[in-house]
Amino acid sequence: MSTARAIAGCGLLLLAGCRARDTRPLVAIVVPSQDNPYFKAEADAAAARALELGYRVRVDAHDDDAYRQDNLVDAAIASNAKILILDNAGTDASISAVRRATRAGIAVFLIDREITARGLAKAQIVSDNDQGARLVAEEFVRSMHDAGSAKSEYAELLGRESDTNAQVRTTGFHAVLDKDAGLTMVAAQSANWSQAEAFSKTETMLQAHGSIRGIVAGNDTMALGAAAAVKSAGLKGVKIVGFDGSPDAVAAIESGAMLATALQPAVLISRLAMDEADALVKTGSTGKPEMQVIPCDLVVKANAGMYVNFEKKQ
Amino acid sequence: MSERSQSRFGTVVLLLLKLRAVLVLGILLLAFSILTPSFLTANNLSILAKHVAISAILAVGMTFVVLAGGIDLSVGSVAGLAGMVAGGLLTVGIGGHLAGVVVSVAAALGVSVAVGLLNGLLVSELGVAPFIATLGTLYIARGAALLLSQGKTFPNLAGTAARGSTGFSTLGQSFLLGVPLPVWLMIAIAGVATVVAARTPFGRHVYAVGGNERAARLAGIRVERVKLLTYCFSGVCAGLVGLIIASQLESAHPATGESFELNAIAAVVLGGTSLMGGRGSIGGSLIGAFVIGVLADGLVMIGVSEFWQIVIKGVVIVMAVTVDQMQTKLQSRMTPAAPRGGRDRAQVAV
Repeated sequence: MSTARAIAGCGLLLLAGCRARDTRPLVAIVVPSQDNPYFKAEADAAAARALELGYRVRVDAHDDDAYRQDNLVDAAIASNAKILILDNAGTDASISAVRRATRAGIAVFLIDREITARGLAKAQIVSDNDQGARLVAEEFVRSMHDAGSAKSEYAELLGRESDTNAQVRTTGFHAVLDKDAGLTMVAAQSANWSQAEAFSKTETMLQAHGSIRGIVAGNDTMALGAAAAVKSAGLKGVKIVGFDGSPDAVAAIESGAMLATALQPAVLISRLAMDEADALVKTGSTGKPEMQVIPCDLVVKANAGMYVNFEKKQ
Repeated sequence: MSERSQSRFGTVVLLLLKLRAVLVLGILLLAFSILTPSFLTANNLSILAKHVAISAILAVGMTFVVLAGGIDLSVGSVAGLAGMVAGGLLTVGIGGHLAGVVVSVAAALGVSVAVGLLNGLLVSELGVAPFIATLGTLYIARGAALLLSQGKTFPNLAGTAARGSTGFSTLGQSFLLGVPLPVWLMIAIAGVATVVAARTPFGRHVYAVGGNERAARLAGIRVERVKLLTYCFSGVCAGLVGLIIASQLESAHPATGESFELNAIAAVVLGGTSLMGGRGSIGGSLIGAFVIGVLADGLVMIGVSEFWQIVIKGVVIVMAVTVDQMQTKLQSRMTPAAPRGGRDRAQVAV
């Protein structure tokens, strides 16, 4: 195994040596995964802007594994990266990796998720999950009341319960939903951000509670799974809301299968991070405070046409 | 206690141990019906069976592999890959030409068989340990699924009538005589598999290869071919599961099926099939799949948190294997020359 790896490594080195030397400074972009449209959009946007600004780019995914993130940060240090754009693998678990990169002279820009330590990263640019969740919940409440009945029952699908964003979103939802006397939550289950799991759990929850009139989901993937389950149960008029603003969810909102979602401005955040990184390299300052919170947009049927791939059309 | 009554007592215990999966299933059904009024309704049982079908179909394929002394860790990834192949052909096509439903389904199953074939060749021809060979193909198939779409989901598999691509949702969403089609598929596959395992020469060869490979070889059984076929069948089952899920969701996601292999193995073990090979049954795996499915759905219905659900599933699996060991010991003590159940380890170590 190790021999095979060594041979492969030598081969890669040779390949790299044969190529003309690229003197552009390197931007390392590390995101949680590339099989999720949100993280992919965020990575693509950062990479595109970095190339525009005249940098070299490398994109990797840590699969929400802090250990793998550590290795990727080491790789960035070893390859003399100038800038690290990181959507990190855990609020506390990522601090040491960020510190190591900063000490090695890499300017670290955190996007999408923050870390608890301040003063290590050059900037932490995140979308406002709490505000977004409240926006969606308010729209949900409005629509449930418009539907007529004074008392309405709903269910919640939570994200992976060990994930900070799952916690922040559910807290934001409940800050609005719990104040409304007409709404009762009859079931809550984690579907681990997964569409297939949301599908089967929603089917089961609808069996246990036939009175469910609405479903609040912690992300769009789960909301789409819930929508498929509602359709499969032959139910009409069940209001489903999600979070993220994925293209599939925007399409579902246009078709009426979903009610609303909060669009996280992933593309905008990535561009901001890259622009500030470029400013830091060229002028020595980002010109912005470390913590930057960007509000989410509410996407409903009326404005769904304005949103593509995690950004608002210009 | 006289020796005779003691042996009668032993027989009763042994019978109870053999029927443990059925007993556990009965207890679970009873408990959940008491706790949730809507549990024992026709509608819920139909949905429950549909959920069970996913892990049951995987478990049936897995049972043959395990009976022949192997293991197939790649099934979850193959399910994901099959969904992506069908999804890609239906919505993107090759060179701008969209494929029809039948072609897409056939291609997806073809790819699944190919992965099974690869597993089989690695194990039987090249002598790679099944655990390692299928761990490798687990990664290969998952990576291939991600590469097909560059990590994106293929949405809108419902198709459009104008392009003649509708009908894919039939597989996962339609009903026959009031029962979901996936449940019929499970029944059909389990039925055929039971007959094949118990009544055909191939079935006996599978048991023989898993029970004592060298003896099987000396008896003239084509061991390689038997192993190859078990992996191919497991691949087909996995592909079918991937297609059912894609059809239910009307979209194909490359991460579909992650850790499904563990559910399938758990169902097989719960059903009393020995991971050493040579002992077990299709019916047992089916009941094992129902135990896992009923537990999962029942706990959701009574509103138990995700974390406890995981713990409880683990406890049930550990208990099942512990009981399995007890049964093996008891059986070998009572009937030293038992042909299947009482194999001791020395025989396996050939």
